[in-house]
Amino acid sequence: MPSVRLIGLRKTFGGIKAADGLDLEVRNGEYLCLLGPTGAGKTTALRMIAGLVSPDEGKVLFNGEDVTNTPVEERKAALLPQTYSLFPQLTVEENITFGLDIRGADERLKEQVLISMLDLVRLSGRSTAFPRELSGGMQQRTALARALASGADMLLLDEPLRALDARLRISLRTELRSLVKSLRMTTIHVTHDQDEALVMADRVAIIREGRIIQVGTPKEVWDRPATPFVANFLGQSNFFIGEVLQSSPCTLLRTPDGTVLKGRSSDLIPGTQAVMGVKIGSTELSKERPGYLQAKVERILFEGRNLHMDMMTGGGQRLSAKLPSWKKGRITVGDTVGIYWEEEKGTVFSMPANGLESELKVE
Amino acid sequence: MMPEVRLEGLGKRYGNLTAVNNVHLTVHDGEYVTVLGPSGCGKTTLIRMIAGIIEPTEGKVYIDGRDMAGVPIEDRDIGYVFQNIALFPHLTVKDNVSYGPRARALPPEEQLRVSRRFLELVRLLDRMGMFPDELCGGEQQKAALARALASGSRLLLLDEPLSALDSRVRVDLRYELRRLAKELGLTTIHVTHDQEEAQSVSDRIVLMRAGAIVETGTPEELYARPKHIFTANFIGETNLLEGWVVEIRDGISVIELRNGGKVEVHQTDHSVGDAVVISVRPEFMYPADEGMRAVVRGITYMGTYWRVKAETEDDEEVDFDMATLDGNLLTIGKDVYLAVNPKAAVLYPRPEDGVEEAIRLE
Repeated sequence: MPSVRLIGLRKTFGGIKAADGLDLEVRNGEYLCLLGPTGAGKTTALRMIAGLVSPDEGKVLFNGEDVTNTPVEERKAALLPQTYSLFPQLTVEENITFGLDIRGADERLKEQVLISMLDLVRLSGRSTAFPRELSGGMQQRTALARALASGADMLLLDEPLRALDARLRISLRTELRSLVKSLRMTTIHVTHDQDEALVMADRVAIIREGRIIQVGTPKEVWDRPATPFVANFLGQSNFFIGEVLQSSPCTLLRTPDGTVLKGRSSDLIPGTQAVMGVKIGSTELSKERPGYLQAKVERILFEGRNLHMDMMTGGGQRLSAKLPSWKKGRITVGDTVGIYWEEEKGTVFSMPANGLESELKVE
Repeated sequence: MMPEVRLEGLGKRYGNLTAVNNVHLTVHDGEYVTVLGPSGCGKTTLIRMIAGIIEPTEGKVYIDGRDMAGVPIEDRDIGYVFQNIALFPHLTVKDNVSYGPRARALPPEEQLRVSRRFLELVRLLDRMGMFPDELCGGEQQKAALARALASGSRLLLLDEPLSALDSRVRVDLRYELRRLAKELGLTTIHVTHDQEEAQSVSDRIVLMRAGAIVETGTPEELYARPKHIFTANFIGETNLLEGWVVEIRDGISVIELRNGGKVEVHQTDHSVGDAVVISVRPEFMYPADEGMRAVVRGITYMGTYWRVKAETEDDEEVDFDMATLDGNLLTIGKDVYLAVNPKAAVLYPRPEDGVEEAIRLE
């Protein structure tokens, strides 16, 4: 299975930079999720890897070999588009073998591939059905089988679960991952859904405005976000602006009202302005402890396993917290709570050049 | 007074196909109700019958006590927001929003006042001179919402209003939807396939499947004590374990699982010998000194917790959550014993057609 390397890819469409110096390395047999908001350049990156879009600048390497000018059909990379684009007038079987027919594969090979693909995606009983007769999940599996039947050793998935219902999407995450993993294929999966990326990926690459901001295991990108954007895009964070007092062994940040907040060690220079991000799931509330600061609970939303709390500080800052639902009733709307977090959970970033608000923008 | 919506035996048939079957539902004044269900469950047909876009084949729609049979959409006094954002592309945001007031022939200064008010409510005042194409997806949907609100109707029908948007934008906007509806005191019916969205915005959820209502309840009722096994699986994630009731004592049922393990549940509305299914959510199952034996097969970091996948002795997959990872206890391939919080588990009679069929999503 091939490794993939993207070096300094640039692509501009009508003045918009879809790729702006994109660097990325995907390992052999790895399941990598390319995560980012709409318009971040995810699909363009995928299409450049597939060979459907040629970059203005930069290189695409498969196993160290430059394939930047290699045509699509020689790259052995199967792209599963967002809308599965199955042929409506062809049966499941005919859809799956379509690529083999085009290449004039002999009947025996065709049959072997077909049987193994139908078996793999559990559609043996539906091989003569037409796409419209299938459920969304089955259509998705047919499209996957068709992509795999081409004999590719790399799989490029463009929002493969997006067309499905929310609940089904959750059920199919593990299924899709184990299917692909069992084939030991190198997989690049584009998504805007951070839960999907966390659950499915070996590593997550976060993309924004045509550049990769951070690559790491789900735990690394969650616990050690490289920028405030990453801290907020994955799981939402509360942010505090202040002046760095010290950066080791823990970082101390003094906010304009004189409160000193604690976060993990950093390499920030004392005296500079900085931003601390704390995940809302790591933001703890207490009616007994004063915490770093106090806020009044304005709204509690039930989200199933979690409660989402929105609060307002005396200084007019909105904060949120996410608690397990079984803690319900301990804190109610109108309560004033102390807000604190474990030192390790506070990540301190240098002040974004264009300000915090524009740094956090997702659209 | 805000409108009440009442559906009596509402149904829609297309030839042999029943899209909606015998739906009875009352949505109260000022209530925010979501109609939730998988694709093809009839939820869109239902809301379109309320709107008057689709004519029912059976039953009645009453808005404010008035029978809507034969009343066209424009006379039902509703604000309707579609899944695919339907703004007029050649009109500015302001002109889109003042479309309703203009159609009602309000004086120009009143049109402007109304559109400013609703654009301010959805926080788009600074975009009022722009054209739809110049807005991001989330902003476009907010503009569509402002337009629906500016029509002055007190009944808001939202047909998958967020499904075309990215997940982060969706999360932000769903809070906005509820805030606006409550601030304006509107009666809202919101159709969605996303159970998280339904849980976070609703006063009450109506869960549908195959054209019929499975059950209705507050988000908490449907999460903590769902009446049907389909609900237990559809709303949130759950483990469904099959077994038999072997003993009932002191408000506790003892269930023997297929793999021989025993689980206690605080629920006694079944009899000894009954075949049952236990539903237990991953956050209420945990490793203990004894219990159901399983082998750890996968560990995933979920940010605020670890999701562990394990396989029981009879090859069933179970999921459980750990706040922190105890490395000694949890490594892949390790044996664990799993216990169930007896207060948080729910029992169901074992479905005749099997569990798979009872929870099937499509």
